[in-house]
Amino acid sequence: MFRNNYDNDSVTFSPQGRIFQVEYAQEAVKQGSVVVGLVSKTHAVLAAVKRNAEELSSYQKKVIGIDDHYGIGLAGLASDARVLSNFMKQQSLASRMTYGRPIPIERIVNMIGDRAQTNTQHYGKRPYGVGLLVAGVDDLGPHLFDFQPSGMTYEMTACAIGARSQMARTYLERHLDEFQSSSREELIKHGLRALKETLPQDKELTVDNTSLAVIGLGDEAKGKIEPFKLFEGQPIAAWLETTFETQQGEREGAAEGESMEVDQ
Amino acid sequence: MTSIGTGYDLSNSVFSPDGRNFQVEYAVKAVENGGTAVGIRCKDGVVLAIEKIITSKLLKVGANKRISTVDRHVGVVSSGLVPDGRHFVARARDEASSWRKFYKAPISTAMLSNRLGAYVQAYTLYSSVRPFGVTSIIGGWDSEADIPVDGQVGNGPQVGAGGKVTDVKKGGPALYMIEPSGQYWGYYGAATGKGRQAAKAELEKLDLSPTGISLEEGVKEAARIIYVAHEDSKDKEFELEMTWISSLDGPTKGRHQEVPKELREEAERLAKKSLEGDDDDEEEEKTGEEKMEE
Amino acid sequence: MNHFPQAWGRPRDDVYGAYNHSYLQMTGPKQHTQSPIVTGTSVLAIKFKDGVVIAADNLASYGSLARFTDVKRLRTFNDTTVVGFGGDVSDMQYLDRLLNSLDIEENYYPEGHRLNAQNLHTYLTKVMYKRRSDFNPLWNAILVAGLDGEEKPFLAYVDLLGTRYSSPSLATGFGAHLAQPVLREYVPDEKAAENLTQETAVEAIKKCMKVLFYRDARSLDKYSIAVITKEGVDLKEDEKLENQSWAFADRIRGYGAQVV
Repeated sequence: MFRNNYDNDSVTFSPQGRIFQVEYAQEAVKQGSVVVGLVSKTHAVLAAVKRNAEELSSYQKKVIGIDDHYGIGLAGLASDARVLSNFMKQQSLASRMTYGRPIPIERIVNMIGDRAQTNTQHYGKRPYGVGLLVAGVDDLGPHLFDFQPSGMTYEMTACAIGARSQMARTYLERHLDEFQSSSREELIKHGLRALKETLPQDKELTVDNTSLAVIGLGDEAKGKIEPFKLFEGQPIAAWLETTFETQQGEREGAAEGESMEVDQ
Repeated sequence: MTSIGTGYDLSNSVFSPDGRNFQVEYAVKAVENGGTAVGIRCKDGVVLAIEKIITSKLLKVGANKRISTVDRHVGVVSSGLVPDGRHFVARARDEASSWRKFYKAPISTAMLSNRLGAYVQAYTLYSSVRPFGVTSIIGGWDSEADIPVDGQVGNGPQVGAGGKVTDVKKGGPALYMIEPSGQYWGYYGAATGKGRQAAKAELEKLDLSPTGISLEEGVKEAARIIYVAHEDSKDKEFELEMTWISSLDGPTKGRHQEVPKELREEAERLAKKSLEGDDDDEEEEKTGEEKMEE
Repeated sequence: MNHFPQAWGRPRDDVYGAYNHSYLQMTGPKQHTQSPIVTGTSVLAIKFKDGVVIAADNLASYGSLARFTDVKRLRTFNDTTVVGFGGDVSDMQYLDRLLNSLDIEENYYPEGHRLNAQNLHTYLTKVMYKRRSDFNPLWNAILVAGLDGEEKPFLAYVDLLGTRYSSPSLATGFGAHLAQPVLREYVPDEKAAENLTQETAVEAIKKCMKVLFYRDARSLDKYSIAVITKEGVDLKEDEKLENQSWAFADRIRGYGAQVV
């Protein structure tokens, strides 16, 4: 019987140069519920589907604000995300403390990337089982980064991770050109629509199972930002309503064409 | 490959009966799938270039830099597992800064490569770690002038030699490449990653002697070589990233910097043009080379 | 000569009596730097409408000896900020290397996020306060001159205790007594600094450098001066005091024995 001998730990390369433990960790990300992120010239948005264990239980936490100028959305092992987010919070405070400067998004992302890499090269450690989308604003404008258990980080214009996230990515790719010039409200709608794509037929986005976070450059002078804010529950009811009410008609028409391309 | 699955390839730091360390060889496999990276040592500077395959339309264009600055005068580009490359760069930065703390002067590219070679080699010694899944190209310009010691505030004695030796030729361009085994060599032109065979063939045609091509020509050749090396995987789109380090009187003043956008685009334009010209003979050459490899 | 090498070269007990060890304190708390050794004197700076002017002379004294006369005490950081050091020169060199390594780290990222003068001052404050809390201070008084996050002129002070403050004009060391009153004539408040021209600011600083050379025995007539604006740093390191007049000198009374 075939047995893969090269997947017992993260310090063993397969003959093809792959590290299976890392690849398995990426699978853990796909077990988590979906998170979508996207950026315009002025804003970055995270949108996520929350799961609950049972009807009477609370919903899981999908989005964590780290500092005024950025936050993360997670898919996969939530406790690994908590370790990383605590680290990010410490580094962010340290930057504000020592330099009086909000930490640049790319740098904090690289820091967690480097931490995750260490876990893939030393025996007795395991790769993080979580993927993150980091959305924030700094001197260079709004950013969105994708972090993976391998320690790989990418800056993206839009991204989705988690279960059935391919559906969302397909939506995002199709509307990619619109994001740059989108207004805050339009960007939120795109985020929610991309999120909706990932849901099975019988499920809907509700005020209970949806998380939404927005961060943006403020209207005021340089240096002022619209701080990272998480919206959950009733505050997002209006967005859900306007996004999907107006969509209903269009969707019926577009549905056929879409499903053909989505197929993979 | 023989003796795969005989158990000698499951752990790092273990020799097989015929004296091989399989885990290191497997790490090399990871490199062979990476985007092509090249380095060219020209008479008045060094160019580094890498082919970045665009894996998704959603990636931000022009972001996700892969060539890193280690000290002011040194740059590193890696092919293989990108996070391993970042680990390598982090260590390179630590070495460069600890050298500065100790000697109050920048590290030479040769010494930096030596230390990194030792570091990478250490990851082949123990079963508790795995080797680096990258081959890294290190390019640097060691100052040809007498530069002040870090923290120096005065000029020293105005009469006599003041301990300074004059008229000594020193410094200049340097290029090294470190493999997952920790082995490293100095190069006139180095290539690694998927398209290395084609790239090496092109590098060998260049005049990289001390009186050879200039830095600016080097930039154009580097771009062209990346384009040539990409030919095999034509279907995939890619971005070209290039950095350079010139002499103190050159465009970067001895610093490692990104090649200016205008020059890069000009080099890319020329690269595309030259590809259209000699598409056919390029193909033939490569099929011949590829056989040599395995 | 006896057969105890450890006693060679020491006062002989039979001649001078036994050594009194109470003079050599072998116990007690561990001590770090108790005083600076080679020192630089005042640093002066004044804000004007588009930036800051900062100056310091080129002398490093060893006690009262004018030991080094070509010492550059103004250090530029990332072509946008100038840090002026007074106090211990070797501690200044340490800080210079620290800022140098910080600059290298900052340039790992080629785009954006440059540390401005305000960020740098905050950083230096933390370094200085940490060292004083370790009872191992860096014996300096420092002025940081440049632009803040909103590209407005920035000038601030930090010293060996980690004390920090800011003002339209600042001076360290002797200058705090001799030059600061003069500079305040030019810029009594922020409002006045916003109206001050670059020429007047430079003139004010040069005037004060001269006053200091007249009255500060640890100063030199060779100095460095830098003007920091949005356009960058204009640093001159080999300036000489002009139009000196020592006519006032023979009217000075009060230092030591008077013969007249």
